[in-house]
Amino acid sequence: MALYFFTPFIAIILTILGGGIIFYILGFNPIEALKFYFITPISNLYGLSELLLKATPLCLIAIGLSFCFKSNNWNIGAEGQLTFGAIVGGGVALLFYNQEGFYILPLVILAGAIGGMIFALIPAVLKTYFNTNEILVSLMLVYVSKLLLDYLVVGPWSNPEGFNFPETRQFSDSSRMPLLFEGLRIHAGIFLALAAVMLSWFILYKTYLGFQIKVSGLSLKTAKYAGFKGKTMILVVFMISGACAGLAGVGEITGPIGQLHRMISPDYGFTAIIVAFLGRLNPFGIIFASLVVALTYLGAETAQIFLQIPKYTGQVFQGMILFFLLASDYLLFFKVKILNLKKNELRH
Amino acid sequence: MATDLRISNISKIYPGCVANDNVSLQFKSGKIYALLGENGAGKSTLVKILSGVISPDNGEVFLNEKNLKLSSPLDAKKNKIGMVFQHFNLFETLSVFENLSIDATEDNKSLRVRINEILKKYNFSIDLDIPVLNLSAGQKQKVEIIRCLLRSPKVLIMDEPTSVLTEQETEELFISLKKFCDEGILIIYITHKLKEVLSLCDEVAVMRKGKVVSVSQTQNEKVETLANKMVGQKLAKIKKKINISKNKDEIFKVKHLNFYSDDPFETNLVNLNFSVKKGECLGIAGISGNGQNELFQILSGEIITPDTSIIFRNKEIAKLNPKQRREYLMAFSPEDRISQAAVPELKIYENVALNNFKSSNFFEKGLVNERKIKEHSKKILSDFSVNTDNVELKSQFLSGGNLQKLILGRELITAPELLICYNPTWGLDVGAINYIHETLIKINDQEKSTILISTDTEELLKLSDRIAVIYKGKLSKIMPSEEVTPEKLGVLMGGGSID
Repeated sequence: MALYFFTPFIAIILTILGGGIIFYILGFNPIEALKFYFITPISNLYGLSELLLKATPLCLIAIGLSFCFKSNNWNIGAEGQLTFGAIVGGGVALLFYNQEGFYILPLVILAGAIGGMIFALIPAVLKTYFNTNEILVSLMLVYVSKLLLDYLVVGPWSNPEGFNFPETRQFSDSSRMPLLFEGLRIHAGIFLALAAVMLSWFILYKTYLGFQIKVSGLSLKTAKYAGFKGKTMILVVFMISGACAGLAGVGEITGPIGQLHRMISPDYGFTAIIVAFLGRLNPFGIIFASLVVALTYLGAETAQIFLQIPKYTGQVFQGMILFFLLASDYLLFFKVKILNLKKNELRH
Repeated sequence: MATDLRISNISKIYPGCVANDNVSLQFKSGKIYALLGENGAGKSTLVKILSGVISPDNGEVFLNEKNLKLSSPLDAKKNKIGMVFQHFNLFETLSVFENLSIDATEDNKSLRVRINEILKKYNFSIDLDIPVLNLSAGQKQKVEIIRCLLRSPKVLIMDEPTSVLTEQETEELFISLKKFCDEGILIIYITHKLKEVLSLCDEVAVMRKGKVVSVSQTQNEKVETLANKMVGQKLAKIKKKINISKNKDEIFKVKHLNFYSDDPFETNLVNLNFSVKKGECLGIAGISGNGQNELFQILSGEIITPDTSIIFRNKEIAKLNPKQRREYLMAFSPEDRISQAAVPELKIYENVALNNFKSSNFFEKGLVNERKIKEHSKKILSDFSVNTDNVELKSQFLSGGNLQKLILGRELITAPELLICYNPTWGLDVGAINYIHETLIKINDQEKSTILISTDTEELLKLSDRIAVIYKGKLSKIMPSEEVTPEKLGVLMGGGSID
């Protein structure tokens, strides 16, 4: 059991070592490069704020995904739910683009959560009533929502004074997340993420729903035998997951971005899958994991600036984390033994 | 060339279960051998050892007096032991030829020539260039057989080959197997179907609880003698006192229970009708795989079948799920303790909470009432003498017997009017079996009813007031147990009929 929470650390150490080797092969001094990657980005207040800024959506989405994954529902489409949440929330924000009022931001946030929820319901309903595979449906819907966003920002919602740039008007200040500190981009969305962590811990460990999720995740046969309402549960976990992704989306557009355009998320929805597993589907583990993975985003940007290597190395690091996590799980939970040796021992 | 395969003192022990206990057998080519036994008797373990999938803890395998080291399936292939598993190992989207060429060592041209020779020789008609998914189960099996034949095997092991075949396909398979046998391939045929053994095989070894209990010529055997050997009939039997009076109320009544499945590994049930009286134990006998799984799940509400009527205490419950049925005071103890009745990774008290009945208050307003569940669990542990008082213990640390006591306790502490249990003593030691039998008798004494689905005839004769036999999804007539003899049950379980 202790090992179970220990392997993520092993995976992170191996990822850093692996990254060092890659930098070495690319002709960089590995120590220097790793320093640029993992230390420099967070060596000042602005960097720390950026770290939290990036960790916020990752944490929110991963919390939502943990409900799905714990109950054996494979929602791979958080990126789509994020996008759709941003579209719905952004739509509401655009309605109020020239108005002020304290009630606007809550409305926008609520709209975002509902948007994500509705979008997540599509694979859930198809799975429960038509037996489709939720992995495929949720994944394909990502592209649907991205194309829809594309259409909206180029077409009907594009800024009339925007010189045909593919973006909407700027939201009014009443639709923007309040900033926490002057001069830093970190905003009140982080409280949404923290609230989600607390709430998810309570639901997962203290309620009947959480108990059903736990049992279904361990054995679907037992869940059926106990008479849990399987279909309702699938719908509920997808709704929770979608709402979280939608919140993450609306947090991005009302936070650092302030409008809708094509690139509202650097694949947070996909990366959050890694966060969820690195955090062991545990609410507090996910906080930690979202910080680690957020650092790979920042590190990639610094590395691009100082070392002139593409920022896609960030994805390489994220891939390595997942790879090493799965590998260490495999090697730690399965006994490796050399069979021939054992047989000889038995004979003597 | 004659082949001689000898298994010597093979043992394989899994935690809590002796899968093979000092098994020794000898096979010679020119004959078809049956390895007969119920699910869990140890057949599959033995076969996996022969095909190199698992290594035995002890014992040796000799092929033509050569000691074989079978530490991987590759070793089995090298030593010309071929194996056709019950579940096919084929790539559905690849063509037949592609499937066969995957592990071939020769070029495609000569491989195709050789495959065609085999097709012609054994009269198989399979199009080599269509995807495997378009083939019937019988044809897929032929592809698997061809894969073995390409390696000119000395030994061919068939694991439950007819479970997915139609009768026609079964006949074709038998003809091919006899041909292979005439050509000197040693055939080991694993099954729990008695009629197949009698019509196909020359010699039969019966396994029970990991041991070989008999080896005999099939010509000296009949369906019922084999059935008795298979399920383990002991002559001495203790019976509970029959306390059934004819005019007691029917508490549970099933009408028109039909079940059709698309899954070839499931058994269809055909028009089952039966009822249970107050305080009565209805036994349902049968060799495993004849529809017991499906029957249990329909009775518990895990599967809902249309047009079935199930009346329990004068209410129609056929459309209710297991949790709702529990609220009407039914209780269920499934066969599979480890992945269905309980979850090993959960703590004892969490497993107790699975039976969340109406008055339990385990979950108040959607919240977990841990204190209540733990109190209740403590009571179960002491009332049903489970060998621990730590409700925080993970269930995986309980022995099979203690886990079964916990499950029965969980189901019975609600004082249900009807308990449905399926192989409640499967895999348990004598002490635990006695305890559970006593418990089941006690329920009937308290005027509560039980339905006992079991593959253990001894248990059925000991506990039931009336007995019926399920065979291929059909139920025999229900007989008062004093009229039932082990011989009669044997005939019915093997698909025979009695007047």
